[in-house]
Amino acid sequence: MNTDIRYLQQLETDFEHVAAQERRRAASRKPSGRGGRGSRPPRRPTRSDRRWPSIAAAVVTLLIVAGSIGFLSQQVDTSSGDSSGADALAPAEVPGNGPATWQSRSTNRDGERLALDPITDTGADEQGGTPGVHYTTGDTKAPVGIGTTPQTQGDLSKIIRDGRIEVIVPTGEFAKNVTAVTRIAGTNGGFVLTSSTQNGQAGQFTLRIPAKRFDRAMDQLRRLGTVQSDAVTGDDVTAEFVDLQARLGILTDRRDLLRDLQSEATSSSEILRFATLIDQVQLEIENIQGQLNFIRDQVAEGTIKVSLRELGAPEAEEQQPTDVDKPSLGTAFNLALQGFLRVLGAVVVGLGYLIPIGVIALIVWFVVRLVRRRDREAS
Amino acid sequence: MPDERTDSELLLASKDNPDAFTELYRRHAEDLLRYFARRTLDPETAAELTAETFAEAFASRQRYTDQGVNGVAWVYGIARHRLGRFFRTGRVDAAARQRLGMPERDLPPEDYERIEDLIDFAPIREALLEALETLSEDQREAMRLHVIDGLGYREVAERLRCSEANARQRVSRGLRRVALVLQERGLQLSSEVES
Repeated sequence: MNTDIRYLQQLETDFEHVAAQERRRAASRKPSGRGGRGSRPPRRPTRSDRRWPSIAAAVVTLLIVAGSIGFLSQQVDTSSGDSSGADALAPAEVPGNGPATWQSRSTNRDGERLALDPITDTGADEQGGTPGVHYTTGDTKAPVGIGTTPQTQGDLSKIIRDGRIEVIVPTGEFAKNVTAVTRIAGTNGGFVLTSSTQNGQAGQFTLRIPAKRFDRAMDQLRRLGTVQSDAVTGDDVTAEFVDLQARLGILTDRRDLLRDLQSEATSSSEILRFATLIDQVQLEIENIQGQLNFIRDQVAEGTIKVSLRELGAPEAEEQQPTDVDKPSLGTAFNLALQGFLRVLGAVVVGLGYLIPIGVIALIVWFVVRLVRRRDREAS
Repeated sequence: MPDERTDSELLLASKDNPDAFTELYRRHAEDLLRYFARRTLDPETAAELTAETFAEAFASRQRYTDQGVNGVAWVYGIARHRLGRFFRTGRVDAAARQRLGMPERDLPPEDYERIEDLIDFAPIREALLEALETLSEDQREAMRLHVIDGLGYREVAERLRCSEANARQRVSRGLRRVALVLQERGLQLSSEVES
C-alpha cells in the first residue's frame, strides 16, 4: 500500500482478514450448495434487512395496543351507555302521556330484577292519563300496570317493539296456561303467530300484539306464573320512516310533473320516453310505499316471544332459524366482514388515542435530545 | 504487478472474490481520509469515518450495480452519508465494523501530524481564527499553538504544561468543534471533487 499512515496500513490488514474470512465462509458453503458452479453466494443480510423484523414487530405491537385501546374504549362507551341507561330507564315525561315503559328490563334466574325499572301503575288507562310510577325489585308477581305505547309519545314516533318472557307455571298447569296465552293474545287484539310444545310440559309461543296493548299483554303474561326472565326492546325507526315519507313526496311530485309533460308531448317518441320515465318513478314509489307499509305494520304490532314451562320440566329449546344452525357461506362471509370491520374500527379508535400521545412523546424526545446536545457541546 | 481493473470492475469482482475489495481500498484509502480530514479537521474523526465507510461499502458490496460511472463514486456516496450523519449526531458509528468483526483501532500518535498535513489549514486560517472564539480557553490555546503557530504536540504540551496525549486531545476536540461551527456557517473547507 502506497501510504505511510499507520492507521490505514492497519485497516488494510483488517480488510484482508475480513476478506479471508468471507472467502473461507464461501468455500465452506460451496460443497453443500445446490447452485453448483457460478451460483452467487446468499446475500449477507444488511442492516436494513435486520431492521425489518423489529419494525414489523413494532407496527404489529402498535396495532395490537391500538386495537386493545379501541375495544376498551368501546367497552367503556357501552358501559357508560348502560349506566346512562339508568337515565334511559327513567320515565320519559311526555306532555299528555304517562311515562313510557318500553325500555328493556331484565330479571335473573331467581326472578329478581337486575335493575330498577319504571313500571306504570296498575290501573293507568291505555291512553296514558297521569299514572304514577313505581320501581319494583325482586317480586315479579307484583302487580304491574299497563303503560302507554311508545307511539303515544308523539305522532311521529315509530318504534318497533319486541318482548321476550320466560314463565314457570305450577306442575300440571301447563295446558291451562297455554289456553291463557292464546286468550291474552286474543283479548288484546292480537294472535298467536307460532307455537310449539314439548312433552306437554313446556312450549314456545310467538305472539303478535297491537302496539297500544303491548304492555298490557306483557303484564298479563307475567301474571301467569313466576317470571324467570323478561325483556322488552324498542327499535326506533322514526328517522327511516320520515326519510321514506320525504322521498315518497318527492317522487310523487316528480311523477305528477312527468305526467303533465307527457300530456304536452307532441310526438310519439316523446310520449314513449315520458312513459318510460313515469314507469321508473312509479316503481320507486311503490317500493317506498311497500317499505312504509312494512314499518307501519311492524310498528302497529309488537312481537312477544313467550317461553312457558312447568316447574321442574326441562327447559324448552328455542327453535332456531335454519340459517343459524347451518350458516350459509354468505352468512359466514357477512359475519367475517363484520368482525373485520369491528377490529378495524377498534384499531382506528385506538390510534386516535395513541397518535396525540405519540406526538407529545416525540416533542419531549426532541427537547431532551436538544438539551443533551447543547450540554455535550458546552462540555 | 499493478491490478489493471477499473474501480467498478473491482467492486463487481469483490462480490465473489472479497480480495478485490482490498485492492479498491489500497487505491482510495488515503484520498478518502483526506476528504474526511478536510471536512472534519479532526484526524481521529477522519480516520474513524474512513474505516467505517470502507466497512459499510464492504458489507453492502452485493448491492453495487455498475451504472457507467467510476465505482469509487459509490464509495464516496456512502462517505457523504456518513459525514452528514457525523455532523448531525457529533459522533461516528462503528456498526459496520462491528458487523464485520473488525477491531476498533486508536489512531497512532505519529499519524496525527501526518493527517493534519493532508488537511492543509492555509485556506481556512481566517475562518479558524473566528471559530476559535467559540472554544473553551484550554482548547483555544492548544489550537492556537498547534494550528496557528504551527508547533508540534510536544511543544504544545510543554507550553500548556500537560501531557502530549492531553495536548493532542485538546486540539482534536477543538478541531472537531471548529469543524462543526464552520459546517453550520456553510463554509467550504475544500474544493476537491470526488470521483
